[in-house]
Amino acid sequence: MSDALEKSFVQQLQANQNIIHKICRLYTSGEDAHKDLFQEITIQLWKAFPKFRGDSKFSTWAYRVALNTAITLYRKSTRTVATTAYDNTKHFIKEEDYNYEEEEQIKLMYQAVYQLNDIEKALVFMYLEDKDYQEISETLGISEVNARVKMNRIKGKLKKILNP
Amino acid sequence: MEELDLLKKSWKKDEHTFDQVSEVELYKMLHKKSSSIVKWIFIISVLEFLFGIMLSAALSFTKGDENNLQMIKDWGLYDYYVTSTLLIYAIVFYFIYRFYSMYQKISVIDNTKLLITSILKTRKVVKQYIAFNLTTFAIIFIIVGGFGFYYGYTEGAISKGNLNPEMPLNVMLIAVLVLIVVTAILTFVFWLIYKLIYGILLKRLNKNYEELRKIDF
Repeated sequence: MSDALEKSFVQQLQANQNIIHKICRLYTSGEDAHKDLFQEITIQLWKAFPKFRGDSKFSTWAYRVALNTAITLYRKSTRTVATTAYDNTKHFIKEEDYNYEEEEQIKLMYQAVYQLNDIEKALVFMYLEDKDYQEISETLGISEVNARVKMNRIKGKLKKILNP
Repeated sequence: MEELDLLKKSWKKDEHTFDQVSEVELYKMLHKKSSSIVKWIFIISVLEFLFGIMLSAALSFTKGDENNLQMIKDWGLYDYYVTSTLLIYAIVFYFIYRFYSMYQKISVIDNTKLLITSILKTRKVVKQYIAFNLTTFAIIFIIVGGFGFYYGYTEGAISKGNLNPEMPLNVMLIAVLVLIVVTAILTFVFWLIYKLIYGILLKRLNKNYEELRKIDF
């Protein structure tokens, strides 16, 4: 593959890398696993890049490849350790914004999300990313109505985990 | 849901907390080797095909050995032997072709359900191939074993002075039965090990596929 193609890919990936970081955060625990999955996603994106036509945004296209890699292609178990996963990620909040109670609640939420299965995490991820149900259904290959139903069930499941 | 929206708020703020990977590092990553399950499945499948071909080659041991070829001719099996060998190779090549075309269809830009489906279908081709190999192996084992036993028995009788030996029906039945049981046990053990290995390898894929299927039931 040509140098120009490689350059264009690296630049776009660099600008959009937070998508991958966020997926790694949901699907792995610990810095090493995060890096490992990040690398695998990068390789898969690069391998698929010649098929990227540019008729959609790079980020939209990257969502799909990255999620597919995390759910399907990644060999190692992506089960996360609920108690440590969140603490492993750096979390800076400016002092004036700091709200202890809210912070605690967010921490608990993350721990609850880590207990979901791979597919449920994918739905939560796209929900957090403000994706509409059409895109969610197209990415996962399920119907739009059922994606909506599933999302409501996940919300219920999270509620149950948080308030047992 | 209040909590999930709270998480959404923090989710967006967290964007700035990830260690950014530099362009130089990204360049390096592009040239690293993938360790995806598809790659593993490909390698393992190729090994299985090689194993099958080696098994076929081992079963056609007669090729290199004049005596064995003569033995097969004596048994009146030569035509069957040639036909079945050709047939087996044709089927093996058909399996390899099927596997390759299925493998080519695996695309990371498909939706998740389709992607998992194509991977599992590719796996299924190799599974059928192994089932085919085990079956042919079992059949050949029984036939060759049966003939070997029969001729061994009659030749033994001739050397003892019986010029027109007949194998008693009960001996023949017991011999065939023993052969079938031994073959069945061997095949079953092999199949069990195989299922176990793939059970572990494909556990996650099957689980996620099941989950997606359940959503749409």
